[in-house]
Amino acid sequence: MPAARRRARPKDRRSGAAVPARRRAPGPAAPSAGVLGIPLALALALLPISLVPRIQTHPVLAQSFWGAAAALLAWQAVLFLLRRREEARPEIDTVLRPQHYVQAAVQLSVFAYWGWYWRPVYDHAWLLAGQLVFAYAFDLLLAWSRRERYTLGFGPFPIIFSTNLFLWFRDDWFHLQFLMIAVGFLGKAFVRWERDGRRVHIFNPSAFSLGLFSVVLIATGTTPLTWGEDIATTLTLAPRIYLFLFLAGLVVMYRFAITLVAGSAAVVLFGLSALYAAATGVPYFIDSEIPTAVFLGLHLLVTDPSTSPRTPLGKTIFGVLYGVGVFVLYTLLGAFGAPTFYDKLLSVPLLNLSVRWIDRVAVTLEAGGPFGRVAERLARPNANLAQMAMWIVFFAAMTLIGATDGRHRGDTVPFWEQACAEGRPQACERLLQIEASYCADASAWACNELGRHYTDGAIVAADAALGLDYFSRACELRFRPACLNLLEQGGAYRAPPKTLDLRLLLREGGQNLMEMSEAELRARACAHGWDFACEEARQ
Amino acid sequence: MVLGALAACRPLDPEGSSAARATPLPDALEGFRADAWFLPDDDLLGFVEIAAGPFTMGSDPAVDPRAFENERWSAGGTQGTVDLPAFAIGRYEVTVAQFRAFADVSGYTSAPEALRGSPDHPVGSVSWPDALAYCRWLEATLRDWPGTPPRLRQWLNAGWRVTLPSEAEWEKAARGADGRVYPWGDVPRRDRANFGGAAGATPAGSFDCPECPFGLSDMSGNVWELTRSPYQPYPYDENDDARDLAADALFVMRGGSFTDPEGNVRAAVRGGADPGVRRPFIGFRVVISPPP
Repeated sequence: MPAARRRARPKDRRSGAAVPARRRAPGPAAPSAGVLGIPLALALALLPISLVPRIQTHPVLAQSFWGAAAALLAWQAVLFLLRRREEARPEIDTVLRPQHYVQAAVQLSVFAYWGWYWRPVYDHAWLLAGQLVFAYAFDLLLAWSRRERYTLGFGPFPIIFSTNLFLWFRDDWFHLQFLMIAVGFLGKAFVRWERDGRRVHIFNPSAFSLGLFSVVLIATGTTPLTWGEDIATTLTLAPRIYLFLFLAGLVVMYRFAITLVAGSAAVVLFGLSALYAAATGVPYFIDSEIPTAVFLGLHLLVTDPSTSPRTPLGKTIFGVLYGVGVFVLYTLLGAFGAPTFYDKLLSVPLLNLSVRWIDRVAVTLEAGGPFGRVAERLARPNANLAQMAMWIVFFAAMTLIGATDGRHRGDTVPFWEQACAEGRPQACERLLQIEASYCADASAWACNELGRHYTDGAIVAADAALGLDYFSRACELRFRPACLNLLEQGGAYRAPPKTLDLRLLLREGGQNLMEMSEAELRARACAHGWDFACEEARQ
Repeated sequence: MVLGALAACRPLDPEGSSAARATPLPDALEGFRADAWFLPDDDLLGFVEIAAGPFTMGSDPAVDPRAFENERWSAGGTQGTVDLPAFAIGRYEVTVAQFRAFADVSGYTSAPEALRGSPDHPVGSVSWPDALAYCRWLEATLRDWPGTPPRLRQWLNAGWRVTLPSEAEWEKAARGADGRVYPWGDVPRRDRANFGGAAGATPAGSFDCPECPFGLSDMSGNVWELTRSPYQPYPYDENDDARDLAADALFVMRGGSFTDPEGNVRAAVRGGADPGVRRPFIGFRVVISPPP
């Protein structure tokens, strides 16, 4: 019987903890049989979680949990049957890595703050817990299936949190959420390459599954199966969300030296947005200089140290390319009629694939010349602190000019109506987009306006059936002009927004206006370019 | 696998196709034409022509002490006279089979409850836009169908529209020109209509009404019938319909339902229906009406 051979474990650079050897030769070491019970306990833990009221409210959701548990149990049973004659037993090491628990803590703080202002996030808590349990069990069984020691730590936390900060499936389709998590772990285990002399995973696990599922959702036109669109737009419901993300991001920047990635991406996006606005007179992104979800992504999605460049210049290039990628994808997705919020998700896997190329370019540039001197400065001790200082100054400047949490000119419908009337680039498309968003929020006024656009065909190709659909929706929301448009099929009737419409239309920047008095609401409407409200005030 | 699963799904109809879970359409239905979308089997596919002329609208509390405030023509006055051009109205309330045929042919997505009842019962659980969608479809169908009776085709060629009745059209069709309280006379009769807390709707045409001015069925009781008239105070004037666009939409419904007491199934009673509401006791019938 061969003796167990173990290589000396290298020290983890950040935690100082021993890194376990990736593969272990079969040997006599027989650790506690209790270890075998861990995946069993985790799989069974999904069952009581499925009994909580949030999950029991929807039978398909509960069935998703049972299906996930059954799959894990079946996997474990097969594994047990195949390995029962082997003397070697699965082994577990415990390694707590700061890049996992610090990231997880920051992500959790985002959920907590965002959920305070958008209730579905808190309602999602049990589903997050279920995914975490599933992720641990899946990761463990995957490691043992590959005859590897399992490294127990907080690893699954940032993967699950990061995934759920950008995409989760609706209750009817929640089994796909489990599948998405599984794909992330499979990608981490099997999609690997040689980098810096080590065999490492190519993709950021959450970004890999998010990117893959994004492509499928876009290709099949099934985005409504997910909360993706809502997630991307409801972050702004939390006041001063940019400031919150900025402060949370500072923690990650300080701890893991990712300032160059996030900062350069943000600078590029702000810069490109400003250039576009200067050239066209309208904002590039509808209601922000950088969409909130992109701002979140450049702090917490693209910054995985394991799958991004390690040299300062490489990090800078990586960040710049992320900014450019998001900027370009936003237009490309819009041009193909796909939801634009996928821009931040699709960029990351592409960048992960480019890392070796970026590394090579960075090494070449650092070899000499001006880039070499820049790289040298960027690599100096405390350089990250200097970079953070520059980032803080830059963010403060952006905030002072109203490019972050402040009021944004693209927030208002009248701005886009005017821009559309003036023939500004993309303005009519943006007007339709923003009205569709408000219509989906149950603004009858916005639905009626959309119905008119699709009926008269002035700013979009006429589509009588779609126009009637919008009129029907507005009419069911008790908007009288829409009912008359439905009756006479001319699309001629319109009226100013009603009070409930204003509470939605003036939400700009995410404020909850449900409690605002009518007088304040109309004053705000006047200040935001709604002429009818100013006329009412004058009368 | 994921691609296939996603491609096969219907995200906007999470409960599955409403038509797929509806009561199947029968091969035949007595009194209705299965080959013509279950429209009534008569010369005009169930439409009854109402001649042009004036009629008495609203209620006079001196004649009908059950009259509600909103049925009075004015604070001082009692009833009014409205002159209408000729129009045609359905003999029966639109049935589940007819609405189901429409949903099947057009792919219209309605509330599943609307398609679940017995085929010969009046359709319920339809919203005001649902009812108008049926009207639009029926008009387009009748315009294209070679089997459309010549009289109907003549009306359609003259620009008449298939739509919901105005409340004036409805009331004239229900009570005729003489201002009677119920379609059959001035006293409630259980052998003429389904009302008074009955267990549910009855099949269209269950009650004969030889005394009714135009022989229409269920103009009293069975299900409330949506009209195209916005709910507004009397005196009635169709020209007012497009005024006050800022007001919430509320449409008049007429006739009362199987759940209502005798006072609510009088010909002049005016109910208000939120256009988005769907209730099993609210349905509709259609008219072919000349342009204003």
